[in-house]
Amino acid sequence: MKVMKKVLLTALIAATPMMAQVKEKIEVPYIAFPIKMGKGFDVVQANCLMCHSFGYIINQGRQSKKFWEGKVNKMIVHFKAPITDKDKKVIVNYLFKHYGNGKEQ
Amino acid sequence: MKRREFFKTAAVTAGAAALGTTAAEAGVTHQPIDNRKVGNVAFPEKRPLITYSDRPPLLETPREVFTCALTPNDQFFVRWHMPDIPTYIDTDKFTINIKGLVKKELKISLKELKEDYEQVEVAAVLQCGGNSRSAFTPTPGGIQWGSGAMGCAQWKGVRLRDILDRAGLKKGAEWLAVQGREKAAYYETPNFIRELHLDELDDHVIIAYQMNGEDLPYLNGFPVRLIVPGVYSDSWIKMISEITVTDKYQKLFFMDHAYVVPDNECECETPEKLFPKTKPIWRMNVKSIIGYPENGAKLTLKSQAVVRGVAFDGGAGIREVQISLDGGKTWDKAILDSGKLGRYAYRTFRYGFKPKKLGKLQIMAKAINKLGEEQPLAKDIKWNHGGYKYNGIDVVTVEVV
Repeated sequence: MKVMKKVLLTALIAATPMMAQVKEKIEVPYIAFPIKMGKGFDVVQANCLMCHSFGYIINQGRQSKKFWEGKVNKMIVHFKAPITDKDKKVIVNYLFKHYGNGKEQ
Repeated sequence: MKRREFFKTAAVTAGAAALGTTAAEAGVTHQPIDNRKVGNVAFPEKRPLITYSDRPPLLETPREVFTCALTPNDQFFVRWHMPDIPTYIDTDKFTINIKGLVKKELKISLKELKEDYEQVEVAAVLQCGGNSRSAFTPTPGGIQWGSGAMGCAQWKGVRLRDILDRAGLKKGAEWLAVQGREKAAYYETPNFIRELHLDELDDHVIIAYQMNGEDLPYLNGFPVRLIVPGVYSDSWIKMISEITVTDKYQKLFFMDHAYVVPDNECECETPEKLFPKTKPIWRMNVKSIIGYPENGAKLTLKSQAVVRGVAFDGGAGIREVQISLDGGKTWDKAILDSGKLGRYAYRTFRYGFKPKKLGKLQIMAKAINKLGEEQPLAKDIKWNHGGYKYNGIDVVTVEVV
């Protein structure tokens, strides 16, 4: 009986097409994250969205100015995002205004 | 040279004076965020999960799933780093390229992987090093995960060792650089590559094409990913494109800067005085999560209530899970499953009790592994700037009605 089972199982595996699950291009859905509008948003959109959704910003929660500065620096220094000094200031101000906790440090 | 020694040698010794710190400067640790709900959009091959980002996709598994020993593929968490992930793989043309210090370079097709090598299986937990990161204050960099950046699956594939044997290692071969197919928006952005030392390769390290008896879901690395049981998931490269054998370690952003902890005994530091030496995260520590009941659940007075959850560690195996219903004053043993999935998998636990008093009730779960290591209370976990390796005792508060 045990042998029989094994034979059946082998037959079943052999009959399974090699890659049957998804045969076409997958579509990753677009999620409209509820990002806040305000001064500097266009700059945030132009720079940040190149690499990641607004979900990343919202996920961080309310943070200090130093925190947001550190984040933007990380994108420039480590991820090599070509953000100009002028844009950096605008982005940090936007993030702190809308996703800040009121604390500088 | 072992990984740890290597980093000790490589690290700059300046600033070692930063060692001495006072309690007042320390960051604090608490229960991770646990009030997030699943989204209303299902990603490919997934049910709706807690959704942090669509590009790249970041999806967390809700707590209720952590009652099962194997996490269903469609509820398994998802974490990518780059905005451009391949959304189509031609399975007839796909190859894994083995190159560098090998006698024979290989381009292994999926068919060859499935037919020309010994097929092996291992059940293992895949957990992001930053799982539960929202437990740390001040907020460390990275995604603010709750406790659901983890899952356990039965993986099937081929031993990496067997593939390297087929290619044949040249003299001096010491390191492996494993690279996936996700791409950044800018050429200058560092690639997501993981280095493994050949000494770290045991027979459980496999290239897997199957997860819980099915093809890997695209978002979990279709068609093949690296499985490194007992180790955090930044080493489990998804959608593998190539493996390069080298004699020297290459310094890498994700290993040497992103996924690191302080290289000291407590793997801790303070926000004001970061420890100057770091090391890549590697083996997982002991952890458990209560899958049921959830925070805010209602239990009936004097009913037969059951607590269920999962426990795991870096491969030593779970010895015991204990439950406390009195804020940690007394602990009682939960019943563990048979453990037949092996030492790298979840052990499910269950604990029956009768709620005797109306009102709020705190349920705590603590896992102890076979080395005697046990989970600390959340508040006793020390802060680190990356928010890695949180393994605090899980607490859920229910209401007895």
